[in-house]
Amino acid sequence: MAKGKTIVVGGGIAGLTAAERLGQAGVEVVLLEKADRLGGRVANLHRYYPRLCPPRCGLEVLLNSIDNLSNVEVLLSTEIAGVQKKSPGIYTVFLRDLKREADPYEIEAGGLILATGAELYNAAKISEYGYGNLPGVITSMELESLLRPEGPTGGRLVHPVTGKPVRRVAFIQCAGSRDKNHLSYCSGYCCTVTLKQIEYLHRECKDVSTWIFYRDIRTPGSKEEYYRHVREEYSPVFVRGMPSSIDGAGEGLTVRADDTLSGKKVEGNFDLVVLATGMVPSELPDIEGLEKDGHGFFPGHIPCAPTELRRSGIWAAGCAQQPMDVEDSVRSALSAVAQCLVRLQQENTVYPEVNKKKCDHCGRCVKECPYGACVLGPDGYPEIYPGDCRGCGVCQGGCPLSCLNLPGQGMKKIEDVVDKVLSGDVPGPAVLLFLCSNDAYPAWNRLVRKDEAKEVLKGVMPISVPCIGSVNMAWINEALIGGLDGVMLAGCHPGQCHHGGGANHADTRLQNLKETLGRMMIEPERLCLTGITIDDSDRLFSEIKRFSDVLAKLGPSPFK
Amino acid sequence: MPPKVDLQKCDGCKGEKEPLCVAICPGDLLMLNEETVKAACRSTRDCWDCMSCIKVCPQGALETKLPYQLGYHPARLIPLMGGKRVSWTCVSQDGKVERFNYKNRN
Repeated sequence: MAKGKTIVVGGGIAGLTAAERLGQAGVEVVLLEKADRLGGRVANLHRYYPRLCPPRCGLEVLLNSIDNLSNVEVLLSTEIAGVQKKSPGIYTVFLRDLKREADPYEIEAGGLILATGAELYNAAKISEYGYGNLPGVITSMELESLLRPEGPTGGRLVHPVTGKPVRRVAFIQCAGSRDKNHLSYCSGYCCTVTLKQIEYLHRECKDVSTWIFYRDIRTPGSKEEYYRHVREEYSPVFVRGMPSSIDGAGEGLTVRADDTLSGKKVEGNFDLVVLATGMVPSELPDIEGLEKDGHGFFPGHIPCAPTELRRSGIWAAGCAQQPMDVEDSVRSALSAVAQCLVRLQQENTVYPEVNKKKCDHCGRCVKECPYGACVLGPDGYPEIYPGDCRGCGVCQGGCPLSCLNLPGQGMKKIEDVVDKVLSGDVPGPAVLLFLCSNDAYPAWNRLVRKDEAKEVLKGVMPISVPCIGSVNMAWINEALIGGLDGVMLAGCHPGQCHHGGGANHADTRLQNLKETLGRMMIEPERLCLTGITIDDSDRLFSEIKRFSDVLAKLGPSPFK
Repeated sequence: MPPKVDLQKCDGCKGEKEPLCVAICPGDLLMLNEETVKAACRSTRDCWDCMSCIKVCPQGALETKLPYQLGYHPARLIPLMGGKRVSWTCVSQDGKVERFNYKNRN
């Protein structure tokens, strides 16, 4: 079991959920929050959709529970300044106390849940909407705060500056979203937020009129029903077109847009214009090896393992993963909690053994491990924390001295194949075939059952490997020197490797070896790497056939 | 004659402080060029052609240029390291190839 506490970074709804659940499970938790209070953005919301219930209700339950848990420590006004791998399974986390101007101090973490959330896109960047210059142009988050009983107007729907009652409200969707100049992606939650706000505006005052300027209304799943309900119940005016300008010169705010459905110019006058802005990820210090997507989020390995990041023992929850609403944030936090508990409690793991007699401390295993599970220990030898290792064997494939091996893998298998070939039992051309156990090996298993394949496959000797990146080039050398005619690697297509770079590692190593073979006057065509998906047994067959034909033309191995 | 580094293939052992070629060289002649993060020979005339670095390089990025007493360009001598086996390929200047396979005592 990993020593050290589990650190939850961020005290918003995702972080609170994660800390509370882990606390209930008996895990030692430290909950960090940058602000001086817990609750994050949810604490400023007026109502949740679809029930229009106050967020306080769920928040109080979480806060009370955390209060009663002695194993959950809450650090307010504290931000994370850095994360470093310390030893197998342990991270050193640097914390900065924002109230005191002191140097960061460190704590040890057995695991980290990054629930750092997201910020709203800065609406002032959308110059045509005049946010920040025109009083009355606000964001949907500001409308939430405005309507709260604790808000600046005591919860009454009045103009935030003039104090006059508000009767005409325009909502502008995709404010800065789905726009190459601002945010290229859809934040996904803003459409439903606007529908919710329309519903309670109409509930609070009967004579309010609402307009929506939109591109598309995106309300997947049951939210579509909520959309229909709001549309039919309150009849807001839908204008399909993004406003070209907001004019605040005269009385109220004039919004002009081209309605792309009717092809006409539309103009409306409003007391309040609400910009439905998207989300951008919160800033977080760089953590070595932790890959973000192009926008700075941590979506995980989608779709199969959305909680899985490129550093074992670190998970993302809530809006740190991608823009999402409260429902998805809670769900995301719970899945991070589940993975965290599995790591703390799992017993059956497969991880490589280190042959310390051969190891030269070169550290390539540490650099290439896709999960950061491998670190050089105090004695300078690689150490692997079993709970962090996903058994991909990329370290085994990269080790220059072949001193890291997964159980059941290694040079011995190749030597057996070579002995078989040397005994003369294998009809030529003799091919050593490495198959990725995720995809290519199941495809192979279906292939060998076919009668028509038997003739072609009789010289093929298969070895299943956890990832094609786990094939060590010394194995290939051994096979070639031992007289095999060719070696084929059947991995995943680049970009589809579950372990990220497995297929790319194999490709780089094979290219290097091919170049050396070329200088040695050995045909580089005797090596080949191919991408096979699990349902590709026909293509695997044609690839093997093609390769066997190439080898037959080249003739027997020059080493024979 | 010194080892020649193939800069395309050498990956500087991914920024390792003491890459394998540096660690193994008995004459302490190899070093990591800090700017390029590639291996380099600091004193080419001191190399004894022991070829330890060639055998150990995980990228196959090193090649010994044969001294003319052994063979004029483009004669080559290239080792390939397996597990139990090691193979040496001799290519003479007129392209004649001979291979010698040995048991590896490691």
